[in-house]
Amino acid sequence: MLRDPRARFTLLVPPIMQLFIFSFAATMEVKNISLAIVDLDRGPYAVSIEERLRGSRSFARLPRYESVAAARAALERERVIAILVLQSGFSANLAAGRPASVQLLLDGRRSNASQITAQYVSNIVGDTQRELSASPAALSAQAAPPAVVGATLAPNTDMVIDNWFNPNLEYRWFMLPNLVGMLSLAVALMVTALSVARERELGTFDQTLVSPATPIEIVIGKLLPSLLVASVQTTLYLLIVTVIFGVPFRGSLWMFYAAVLTFAAACAGVGLFISSLVYTQQQAFLGAFTVLLPFALLSGFATPLENMPVWLQFITTINPLAHMVRIMQGLFLKGASFASLVRELERLLEIALCTWTAAVLLFRRKAA
Amino acid sequence: MSAVTSGGQSWWQQLGAMMLKESKQVIRDPSSWIIAVVLPLIFLFLFGYGISLDTTIVKIAVVREDDSREAEDLAATLTHSRWFLVVPASDRHAGEGLLQDQKVKAVVIIPAEFGRFLHAQNTTAKLQVLVDGSEPNTANFVHGYMSVLWSEFLAARGFEQGAALVAPIGVEARYWYNANAVSRWFLIPGSMTVIMTLLGTLLTSLVIAREWERGTLEALYATPLTRGQILIGKSLPYFILAMISMLVCVLTALLLFELPLRGSLLALGLISAVFLVPALGQGLLISVTMKSQMAAAQLGLMTGFLPATMLSGFLFDINSMPLWLQAITLVIPARYMNVSLQTVFLAGDLWSVLIPNMLFMLAVGALFYGLTWWRLQKRLD
Repeated sequence: MLRDPRARFTLLVPPIMQLFIFSFAATMEVKNISLAIVDLDRGPYAVSIEERLRGSRSFARLPRYESVAAARAALERERVIAILVLQSGFSANLAAGRPASVQLLLDGRRSNASQITAQYVSNIVGDTQRELSASPAALSAQAAPPAVVGATLAPNTDMVIDNWFNPNLEYRWFMLPNLVGMLSLAVALMVTALSVARERELGTFDQTLVSPATPIEIVIGKLLPSLLVASVQTTLYLLIVTVIFGVPFRGSLWMFYAAVLTFAAACAGVGLFISSLVYTQQQAFLGAFTVLLPFALLSGFATPLENMPVWLQFITTINPLAHMVRIMQGLFLKGASFASLVRELERLLEIALCTWTAAVLLFRRKAA
Repeated sequence: MSAVTSGGQSWWQQLGAMMLKESKQVIRDPSSWIIAVVLPLIFLFLFGYGISLDTTIVKIAVVREDDSREAEDLAATLTHSRWFLVVPASDRHAGEGLLQDQKVKAVVIIPAEFGRFLHAQNTTAKLQVLVDGSEPNTANFVHGYMSVLWSEFLAARGFEQGAALVAPIGVEARYWYNANAVSRWFLIPGSMTVIMTLLGTLLTSLVIAREWERGTLEALYATPLTRGQILIGKSLPYFILAMISMLVCVLTALLLFELPLRGSLLALGLISAVFLVPALGQGLLISVTMKSQMAAAQLGLMTGFLPATMLSGFLFDINSMPLWLQAITLVIPARYMNVSLQTVFLAGDLWSVLIPNMLFMLAVGALFYGLTWWRLQKRLD
């Protein structure tokens, strides 16, 4: 397989392109926010909030509209994600010491980005308030950096938040280690499933089966290439992720390769198992896909596992990617020790052994 | 292959015969039905239950190094909040261990003399929070929750002591179209886009690539059918198949996941039909370019399925991506489909949104069909 230059190309180039594109695309951070402002108040406090918004790096555009109706049309077309309404009397109320509030109308079609936007806005409003309570005269506050959570409310209290493992909460640090697992899953599984199915369509697989090689030898022969491809690919990923993207790697390299090889064996086992059930490439492809998608979704790769219903979380124990994601997170960010990861590794090994045994048995029955 | 061979028929009769033959071929294949009905159901089910961005209850550990009443109050505030499930930890070291082993998402440390410092004049009462930053989304939610609870605690204390704070500025957030900001409501329309891309692009490219491998497509070119007729005849059965699975998806979404449909069925049908033009066009283009199933599968996955998941705004907000990537998303039909579906389901028939999106989809579709038509010509020479 590796002698074919085109195969070599398709095995190496697309995954690296994907790594680059996805590392930029896959972010839950919300940037370049467009927020419409409807200022019906025109008082000093409203101006103060607006100035703070303009100073924040998170907001790219802050168009002003005369009425809520006009702003609503912009929100409908997704020109803005939210509308901040400062009702008339807002500044007057605050000046008189009465509680006042601002209205924030958000686009629920993009509920996640909206929620984060709401957080940013309330942080900024909170900052404005804190500044006012510190020195009510400082109305024309200069532009300040975006909200620092835990800034003081009363003079003699303080909340200090430390983010372990990922101090600036960079989404890429979370995504890239997971992508190492995700991309090698796709390759190992698809390649094994489709290549056996193709050999079967062409009839060369039957030749192998009638050859004096035993089913176990055939299976091992199929295992080696996928292990090789996986180690080459992940080495490249490791270099790109750490050197180009600057994600720290705090674990041991031995553990990394042990995990990669076991994981590749488990994925190839799943691929082989699929190919032992099907007859055509199309079926193999659909089979691989039907398995790949749930594996990817139910792994904690993009969305946290804790948010899923309990009965679905159970399925994650038989999902190799879920274990791989935990190992990669441990190795890259947490510098986890061998002892704390060895259980995940054992699980991967179990999955590999089960799928390989099942595939060998199925092939043997077909060969007989 | 009993395609039309007699020369005396009109263009439309030829097209009709070709479509009839293609449709029969698809309908008779049981795998088509599995793909049109069973797969969408499985996928939608998994998407609906498996993906959620709504952070539920977060496990945290609370370490109390102080025995004062204030420290107790603060611990109680945390325990009673609806966001946190508090796991007790005996000391700082134990708490850090829990965090390292991923047993908790955060450790709140109330340091010694917290209560005394809170009352003294020249001291600062510090609360320390360690958050697991490896999952930034959850970490951000923890930050938000903590600062709300901390303010609540301080406010309650401030009122008790009669200390006047500046009148609070409230933020009244209201979510239009999705009052409770349920992430499932925006993820399910996106999942439908992914499923439709899977059917329209991947399956079509694979099936037609199989015909190249088997040589049955060359036989079709030997007939007097024109390129246009072949393209339409090949597309139509898959169009119908995809529309059926769209119907299955919509029913599941409405009945099982209780998604509202605020727009009309007519608009929904129209959008789906328009989206299938670029989706099928892309599938056809891949199949005439690659001609082998393996290669078609790879290319279909890379240019069809993955962009539909990653670059369509289904999971990740397009506006937050770098500009060069935003430019790439302009040629991804799934992007327009996503906005349209979310609008029809959650907001209603906002034609001012739907029509430009449909025009974009048609334009991308025309591009794909045009390229396919052009490539077919080269093939026939």
